[in-house]
Amino acid sequence: MSRLILHIDFNSFFASVEAQANPFLRGKAFAVAGKGKGRIDREAGAIQGRRTSIADLSHSRSVVTTASREAKNLGVKTAMTTWEAQRIIPNLPIIPGDPRKYAEVTHRFLKILHEHCDAVEQFSVDEAFADITTVAGDKFGAILFAQILRSNIIKSIGETCTASIGIGPNKVLAKLASESVKPNGITFVDIGDAEIFVASRSLSDICGIGRRTEKRLKSLGIFTILQLRSAPIDRLIAEFGPHTGQFLWDVSRGIGDDTVTDSEGDDPKSVGHSYTFPHGLETENEIHNNLLALADMVAQRLRNQNLFATHVNVFARYEDGGGSGTSATLPEATNDGLTLFEYGLRSLLPILDLDRGIRLLGISATHFAHHIPSLIPEHSDRYRRCITALDAVAKRFGTGAWHRASTLNTIFLERVSGWHYDHE
Amino acid sequence: MPVHELLNESIDVQVEFSGKRVHPTHVHWGKREYVMKKVNLVHATNEGEKRIYYFSVSDDSCFMKLRLDTGSLEWRIVEFYSE
Repeated sequence: MSRLILHIDFNSFFASVEAQANPFLRGKAFAVAGKGKGRIDREAGAIQGRRTSIADLSHSRSVVTTASREAKNLGVKTAMTTWEAQRIIPNLPIIPGDPRKYAEVTHRFLKILHEHCDAVEQFSVDEAFADITTVAGDKFGAILFAQILRSNIIKSIGETCTASIGIGPNKVLAKLASESVKPNGITFVDIGDAEIFVASRSLSDICGIGRRTEKRLKSLGIFTILQLRSAPIDRLIAEFGPHTGQFLWDVSRGIGDDTVTDSEGDDPKSVGHSYTFPHGLETENEIHNNLLALADMVAQRLRNQNLFATHVNVFARYEDGGGSGTSATLPEATNDGLTLFEYGLRSLLPILDLDRGIRLLGISATHFAHHIPSLIPEHSDRYRRCITALDAVAKRFGTGAWHRASTLNTIFLERVSGWHYDHE
Repeated sequence: MPVHELLNESIDVQVEFSGKRVHPTHVHWGKREYVMKKVNLVHATNEGEKRIYYFSVSDDSCFMKLRLDTGSLEWRIVEFYSE
């Protein structure tokens, strides 16, 4: 018997949560911008009596992370710059994102899934796969389960946060099914109908066929799923390599992975932070300060999770769109921000072209060791005691309670992204 | 034009308890009293060891996001929308 895999995808997630919180936004065109309002709240708190009109906020270099359904109907799309969106709808209200509010909703829907499903795999902040084979039993049980799930979500979160649900024998078909009826649809794809269903979709609908793969397929004369299905496996493997070639051959037939990996409690594979700046960075000093601040954020998360990294990756994206990235092996596993920064910077500087202006800077720690490393020669006991004390300060007063003097002027706004929340 | 503002001002709030839930019902802000009809969303976050609750509440003409600091039991209004 094939498995029953459910995919749930919230419709216009961040905008729906905003409309759930503020009923006056319901039925209106508006967009949620990528940079959060946490910083604005704190700033307002520091200056008693100050009020900031949302219409007056600068959203320069911010993108639309979600548009309300009404804004989408008028042509506003996710990832559009806020400037482009307001060219389509002048005076379009652009609301700064509130990631902590969205995180609560993410936790609530994941909790509902965990309560009932055999395994739950979070795919992004508003999407998850669940194995419902045992709980649902068969097609009718699966549809009934989807309806109960929907009603539990309304009860727990509110009627404005709707989700599309797809059920199929594997993850590819479940996701394709959920995306086929939006908003608020429930779609079941039986294993016997898989080939017909997949053929009714376009190449770009398939999760795993991105713009570049689609372009390459088109250059081979493959424009539809049916054409992909008739392509010989050898040709696909020769063109795309064994992994992607096999995936393309399988997916055109509705064949896919049916393993839902329960992600709860797993150690992360990497811990990283990146930031897009409101203006391009052009000096080494700016790179130093911002990379050090990002490295400290990464290190603090490592220490909170008792992880020690043995590799550091650093990357930069230029104003003109290109980028540079590199990685370094650390002499010993560490969760110290200064060490991550020093090795990251040492690797990045030689390949960095400052004349092109740095738009985005990122650093991540990977390859975790689970033992507490022996003495790190670069840092004294005193330094480590100081970091331990600063961690205690952060635990009591919150992240951001302390900064290195050189990063005092380095301020990062919380982002609203579809993949994770900065504060978690 | 609707007014939509971010702010951070101290307020007085009357609440109703229902089981383990708290519902803000009356907000005293400036010289006015607002009677809140609906709690649309409640979310919580940690600021260090402090647990902060946010209540998104509304009446027929305005929306407010209220912040409750469970350490100091202080209420603040942090967002306001009025048509």
